[in-house]
Amino acid sequence: MAKYIIQRTLLMLMTLFVIVLICFVLIRMLPPAPLPVGDPHSDIIEARREAMGYNKPYLVQFGIYLRDIFTKFDFGVSDKLYFGQDVAQIFMEKLPATIVVNLYSIILSIPIGIGFGIIAALKKNTWIDNVISTATMALISVPSFVYAFIIQYFLSYKLGWFPFLIKDGTDWFSWPMFWSMIPCVLSLSLGVIAGFTRTTRAELTEVLTSEFMLLARTKGLTKLQATVRHALRNCMVVIVPSIFGSFIGILSGSVIIEKIFGVPGVGQLYINAINGQDYPMFMLDTIFYTTIGLAANIVVDISYGFIDPRIRMGSKK
Amino acid sequence: MKKLLAIFLALLMVVSVFAACDNTANDDPETTQGTVDESGNAEGDGNEEEAEREVVEFAPDAEYVYKDAVGVMATNWNPHTYQTQDDDYPTEFIRAGFYSFIYNDELNPVEGKDPYTGYVIIPEMAASMPVDVTEEVKAEHPEFNIPESATSGYAYTIDLNPDAVWEDGTPINADSYVYSMKRLLDPELKNYRAVDYYAQNFSIAGAEAYANSGHTSYADAASAYTLADLTKNEDGQYVNADGKKMYIGLNVILSHLGGDTLKGYVDSFGAAYFDMTNWETLVDMMDANGAIPLTDENLALFTPVIATEAWDETADFAYNYFVVGTDNPVVEYEGTVGLYKSGDYQITMVLSKSLAGFNLLYSLSSNWLVNEDLYESCLSENNGVWTSTYNTSVETTLSYGPYKLTDYQADKHMRFERNENWYGYTDGKHQYVDPVDGKIYPMYMSTAIDTQVVAEASTQKLMFLKGELMTYGLQAEDFETYRSSDYCYATPAETTFFLILNGHREAIAQRESAADFDKTQYDLETMTNLSFRKALAVSYDRDLFAATISPARSAGYGIVGSNYIYDPETGAQYRDTDQAKQALCDFYSVNVDDYDSLDEAAASITGYDPVAAKELFTAAFNEALEAGYITDSDGDGISDQTVRIEYCLSADDDFQTKLVNYLNEKVNEAAEGTPFEGKIEIYKSAPYGNSWSDKIKTGLSDCVLAGWSGSALDPFGLTDQYVNPAYAYDGAWFDANSVEMTMTIDGTEITGTLVQWSDALNGATVDFGGTEYNFGDGMTDVDTRLDILAALEVEFLKTYDYLPLIQDGEMSLLTQQAYYVVEEYNPIMGRGGIQYLKYNYNEDEWTDYIAEQGGELKY
Repeated sequence: MAKYIIQRTLLMLMTLFVIVLICFVLIRMLPPAPLPVGDPHSDIIEARREAMGYNKPYLVQFGIYLRDIFTKFDFGVSDKLYFGQDVAQIFMEKLPATIVVNLYSIILSIPIGIGFGIIAALKKNTWIDNVISTATMALISVPSFVYAFIIQYFLSYKLGWFPFLIKDGTDWFSWPMFWSMIPCVLSLSLGVIAGFTRTTRAELTEVLTSEFMLLARTKGLTKLQATVRHALRNCMVVIVPSIFGSFIGILSGSVIIEKIFGVPGVGQLYINAINGQDYPMFMLDTIFYTTIGLAANIVVDISYGFIDPRIRMGSKK
Repeated sequence: MKKLLAIFLALLMVVSVFAACDNTANDDPETTQGTVDESGNAEGDGNEEEAEREVVEFAPDAEYVYKDAVGVMATNWNPHTYQTQDDDYPTEFIRAGFYSFIYNDELNPVEGKDPYTGYVIIPEMAASMPVDVTEEVKAEHPEFNIPESATSGYAYTIDLNPDAVWEDGTPINADSYVYSMKRLLDPELKNYRAVDYYAQNFSIAGAEAYANSGHTSYADAASAYTLADLTKNEDGQYVNADGKKMYIGLNVILSHLGGDTLKGYVDSFGAAYFDMTNWETLVDMMDANGAIPLTDENLALFTPVIATEAWDETADFAYNYFVVGTDNPVVEYEGTVGLYKSGDYQITMVLSKSLAGFNLLYSLSSNWLVNEDLYESCLSENNGVWTSTYNTSVETTLSYGPYKLTDYQADKHMRFERNENWYGYTDGKHQYVDPVDGKIYPMYMSTAIDTQVVAEASTQKLMFLKGELMTYGLQAEDFETYRSSDYCYATPAETTFFLILNGHREAIAQRESAADFDKTQYDLETMTNLSFRKALAVSYDRDLFAATISPARSAGYGIVGSNYIYDPETGAQYRDTDQAKQALCDFYSVNVDDYDSLDEAAASITGYDPVAAKELFTAAFNEALEAGYITDSDGDGISDQTVRIEYCLSADDDFQTKLVNYLNEKVNEAAEGTPFEGKIEIYKSAPYGNSWSDKIKTGLSDCVLAGWSGSALDPFGLTDQYVNPAYAYDGAWFDANSVEMTMTIDGTEITGTLVQWSDALNGATVDFGGTEYNFGDGMTDVDTRLDILAALEVEFLKTYDYLPLIQDGEMSLLTQQAYYVVEEYNPIMGRGGIQYLKYNYNEDEWTDYIAEQGGELKY
């Protein structure tokens, strides 16, 4: 297993390097936005670009970039979106808002989603199953920003129960902050709940009709015992990786939901960095999310082995 | 006894005199009500009226919070480096200029003006008006090169307000200003705002030399020199007539490339467009600023790069890439830059271009001041590039304005609270007479400004209706409901949006010759036909167009927008002048004699004439047929081809769809019953992003609704946008140098090209047929300047390259919690800004009021 993890980690680092190099070169190959002719500020912008080394060969620029990261852990300063500010600091300041909102959403979604999935599977082809399945389909089909506006309209405007936007400040775990996040969390959760419900229902339905379930019942186990001890555990081979995936997803914000509820998170950073050609910010985002994505793949793969002992990693015959 | 009595009386008199001089009614912030002599408060108002007015002070414990929403929050409000309007947001709260604008009222009257119809300029961070010391400085400081003939307008001393302090109480004195300017212009820092102090009309002597100290700066030669105009120096490098060295700009912004650099193009397109044989050699020779010396050898290496068929240039085009170099020697700030300390609370400012009166004070209504200790602590250097975190957070911000920053969360929230150390709360100058109750009120009733990022307009609307925001900018879907609300305010803007129409025949011919262009079905050339363009121009009812597409805006008829002020002293607007009205009547063929007055005639203009449109379309059909643009093979009098006009998109959205659909619908309505019935199609392009203007300028796309927003105080400067090929959208097919215009000025008939007239109007001395004229500001009377501007406007309209359609503007709702002291919009003062905003309810009362309304306000 250790050998497998080391191999995967090395492979991950190589992949990361290639992706980062490609992104670094591609973003710099985009032609810079034309500067207004006759505007004397254009000369300053061009002079700063020159001083920043943006006119040097791409590989030289990449070398300087890597050198600064490895020698000073310096990812650069933003030259467009947050002029003069350390991009890593900006990113780390904005990450908690995204994480907290998504964390609440996942904590809410997983039990409810799995719960509804189990009920639907156990009550398969009854009116309960039909209601749950129809609602699930509707929630999956409608984009989350539609719920967001509906939730904001009814809960914040008509009923006045919640503020329109999440509270300002960094007291992420205070009661006022939690209360202000509820509309946002609900908007993020509905789709996730529907996803878990559908997956759980589909898996559990299949497992419940398996022969080993029949065997379990004939051995004298009650339906509840058989479902909990055997059926659910088998379902988890599919569900747990998607839970992992969801937890990893909490690091990447939702562009639209964050915008609607005023979440000062990282959701819009990536797109804004590309649109604004803020190279240091874009590269930091790229490195962060690529690393997280690649690491997540390894974690998910390894998790299979723990959940289902029949799956063994790295063993070769 | 007599002596004692005399001493007692003398003492009594002295005490009386001191008591009479006391002005505690103004200075005591605790006073809630009192009286003040009007003339005692106004700066230089000259008001002799003795009437006493009630002075109202707001309850000290009441809270009045201005709740604002922005789409994008400021991230860097450093006065030396900020770049966007969003970043400038905190300026009006935390900073103050040397001089500021306030309304004229009984405290600050303006002769001949009713209260609140004009403005007064008062000293703010300055203690008094600037004093012209040109003669003295010229004699004592020859290093600033004040012209020998100049007697005024070049040097001023400014006495500084001794009460001005930073929010922490640190005094602001002459050293603060000199340090700030030194850092602003520091050649190492390369501050974005440095050029604001030397590259425009307000130009501090020596500022450019210091900012570029030790560097060679390059200026685009704008195709002004060919080799024949240049001579070689001893090194073999070409120099211009001024002795300045010439270079080839490989990575220098060039007007010839529409603001791009050649390197940018070569990097993007490489061998597909350019000959790359010598390119690497040239790049290796390039200096840090992206240029190589213009020598015969370098030119020989360079010309093959651009002289390719794909790039469509020959060696003769090389002059378009020439740039003029200026070698800036290393200089020190002291003795170079014309801003120095001449007293503890006095600075002397020397200018390289003369500036006086309104323009000087207007230029000094902003400020470059930074806090020395904080600024130094925020600077950092990495790989030779300096950056600063000054003014990016609460910790790195110190205010010297009416409010101070107390909370900041990037992309989320900003809060400003009263800066109790601001002199303006106690100096007695920041007061006004309420036009309704006649009482005197202090400015800045808001105790705090709370600003949040609310990106979605729908959320802003809901928050506004809940009383959580002070204003809401109406969206298209809101106009029906709110446009007649008592709380709805229209705010005009200076831009006129016109439909720019492609007239680039070569580009169009090239597009038509493409293999996939079906000439039997489609045609592009007809759109260059003048009758066709005229027909398009009269196909749109401007009022209906504005009401349908963008109801906050209004109909637009001229090139110059209705908000441009030609005389800042009086606030007089160009569009209100007889010259401007006559120009529109001339262009839209309105016979003034048919009306009682010129005003009536101008007001009758709609720009819409469906009958004329049909006649013009028919004429266009015949002319296009004759020119071979289109065919009528079956002889049915209907064009075989559909005239396809590409609408150039930067980005696609609902507004653009609505706009293009409307343009299509109305032009086809106008073309009904003509040979072009159902044969005109305006369609959306792919989204071109930032390159949309290049597409229009190069004739690769056909039309777009766009406009210029220049300085609202200088309508004359706009003419350059239409004659200068670097700016003009039609520069590739309309040569303003080849169109002549004749005017009679002071009894003399003068003929010149549009470029000459424009240049002369904007202050250049131009040779008109052997006689030199300069019609710039202060060089001739304003009526003559207006005559020239109006005549040029007609000439630009006659090209039919620009079809004016709408006048920019916006409408917004103001909360019931507050009201504008002056509702009438003033082009200079707007509606007075936050200092003139008054509240109906404080925060507690407002909460109660909203609850009484059921939690949802009706507007």
